[in-house]
Amino acid sequence: MEKEKVVVNFRFRERLNKVPGGKHHNYCYQCSACVASCPAARFTKEFNPRVILLKALLGMEEDLTGPDSPIWLCTNCYSCYERCPQDVRPIEVIIALKNICVEKGTAPENLTKLSENIGKTGVSVVITSAVNRIRQELGLPELKKIPIEELKVIIE
Amino acid sequence: MKVVPFWGCMMPLKYPQMELAIRKTLPNLGVELVDIEGFTCCPDPIYFKGRDKMNWLTIAARNLAVAEETGLDVITMCSGCISTLKEAQYLLAEDEELKFEVNQRLKKINKEYKGKIKVKHVTVLLRDDLGMGAITRSVKRPLNGIRVGIHYGCHLLKPSQIMQVDDADYPQILDDFVRAMGAIPVEHKERMLCCGKGCMDDELPLEMTESIFSAIDEEKADCMGLICPTCFSSFDLGQLMIARKKGREFNIPVIYLFQLLGLAQGLKPEEVGLHTHRVKPERVLQKLVG
Repeated sequence: MEKEKVVVNFRFRERLNKVPGGKHHNYCYQCSACVASCPAARFTKEFNPRVILLKALLGMEEDLTGPDSPIWLCTNCYSCYERCPQDVRPIEVIIALKNICVEKGTAPENLTKLSENIGKTGVSVVITSAVNRIRQELGLPELKKIPIEELKVIIE
Repeated sequence: MKVVPFWGCMMPLKYPQMELAIRKTLPNLGVELVDIEGFTCCPDPIYFKGRDKMNWLTIAARNLAVAEETGLDVITMCSGCISTLKEAQYLLAEDEELKFEVNQRLKKINKEYKGKIKVKHVTVLLRDDLGMGAITRSVKRPLNGIRVGIHYGCHLLKPSQIMQVDDADYPQILDDFVRAMGAIPVEHKERMLCCGKGCMDDELPLEMTESIFSAIDEEKADCMGLICPTCFSSFDLGQLMIARKKGREFNIPVIYLFQLLGLAQGLKPEEVGLHTHRVKPERVLQKLVG
């Protein structure tokens, strides 16, 4: 029987290497320690950090950064980072992959909704009149002014 | 002892009862909070970091640079904030080139991250700077007999290489905190499970939350005790979601550990904002003596 030919897409790996935290994917030797302590892997078969790392090593761009990528199921718990004997920091590789999805426009719409407020107002939560009222009722000090103008200068 | 509080967003804007509990309890331990101008969101280590890591790191470095100008140490009360600020410090110390790049951006607003500041979670301040004995000495009404199912959450502890708080598999820091108030930390089998909030899925987070509540319920805890506002939203509002979607009612009050400390220091439940919670803390209040 003829063996299936494996072609590694090094271009994608190079792209991943350029995102902070991305280049550590090179250290993965597929031991599966990350899977054993991953809560998402415990609750669904759709998510497996070892397989994500294998696909990163093979440069399987579409599987990882296409619209059906499983990376969004990561709970961001850092257990894989804790466990990895190779300093792969799998969660950071996953976050780097998420950044690539954002560049490509394949990230879930919800991500924008959950994160856009920071660039607009400097805080992640929408400041409502209700919260100011509750703070007053609880006797808390007035909120400090948020230097949003400075943020707008330093983010790209 | 003077420290600069980094409040973040979740506490002041979503769960101000937690800020209230901190402001009421820390002065009783000899801690003076020096509020300063100029902070923004830490920024959030899940969605914002997922969008653009360089922007995430730059904003974190800006916050640290603002704090550096005070010369005082910073404490955070939120697990998300401590995660972002500690990791940013770690990355900027590990990678000179990255630090240079970030500082190039900060230069545009006349700021520089130097890396000369200590940032710690408030519970680490309790353990390492004040000592748990200081907590016990501040207690006027020990929480005798109150069984607390602790939820550690992920970001206070992991990765331990960066956080350097405690054993990430079998931590004791919050257990010791609960004991110092006279209450009983209850062992349960999902003690280290993630709340699931960072997972962008409708089902998984609920399953994880349900699993944790089942474990706490099995051990007959009077409440869940935690330190993370994001976990709090998974568990307080989350219990209503579990009741609606899965038909299971736990009715286990979820309490920020500094609210419990407030009760132990003799404050009334309203004085630490317990009346704002969806699941009312009756079980705990019934056991309070005096």
